[in-house]
Amino acid sequence: MPHGSKTPRKLLAGLALAIIFDTGLQIFWKLAVSDLPGLPDQPTLGLTLAGMLHQPLFLVVGLFMVGQCCNWLVVLDHADLSYAHAITSLSYVSVAVLSVMFLGEIIVLQQLAGIALILAGVWFVTRSDHAGSPAGGGTA
Amino acid sequence: MTGAHFGVALVLAATLIEGFAQVFLKKAALSPGGKTGWRVLGFATFGVEALVYTWSLRFVAVSVAFPLGSLSFVAVTLLSRCLLRETVDRNRWFGIFLILVGASLVAGRA
Repeated sequence: MPHGSKTPRKLLAGLALAIIFDTGLQIFWKLAVSDLPGLPDQPTLGLTLAGMLHQPLFLVVGLFMVGQCCNWLVVLDHADLSYAHAITSLSYVSVAVLSVMFLGEIIVLQQLAGIALILAGVWFVTRSDHAGSPAGGGTA
Repeated sequence: MTGAHFGVALVLAATLIEGFAQVFLKKAALSPGGKTGWRVLGFATFGVEALVYTWSLRFVAVSVAFPLGSLSFVAVTLLSRCLLRETVDRNRWFGIFLILVGASLVAGRA
């Protein structure tokens, strides 16, 4: 996407969907793992894997993964990877908000500061020179 | 080691595993022959990463685990520099530094 161009509606929808898929995946993944039947508080990997076979929520997790992959491929047809990746890192924020709303997790200021720094870091990483970028610059 | 610390260690392991998965897929892209082998290895490694991440979520909140997953940027950068001899510019190193500081703040909450 060139500088200053208006983001097409289809791309905006794809980016929004990518954030929704990312967020939904993480929330359902945590819900599925938290609700594994018959497991001790600190299970081994083997017990966790066995528990996954009896947890139907992992089907939802799988559907989110498939949806995320399909949507991502469509998004990449319309936008540079560096641009799309930077935008979808907003899911760090949406996951934090929804984990408070739906999972009852507690977010403190230190975590918010950490997420803000991570977002800034992702922006710098995606803006850096990479092979294949025109004139070696970011394109967001 | 508490359960939360163990969970953080598992997320860190998952990000490192993801770094290797990405390198394997890049090897597939670079390899004139034997692409399939690298691809299978790459996707299998992603599968292992998903299992380790699933295990980690049993010990740590998703509001901690998911942002820590951004450390995969660090793993991919270091591994692609060491194993693929890719060049990394100053912007990216600064981004990596910010991600490391941010992830440390998030992990300190665990």
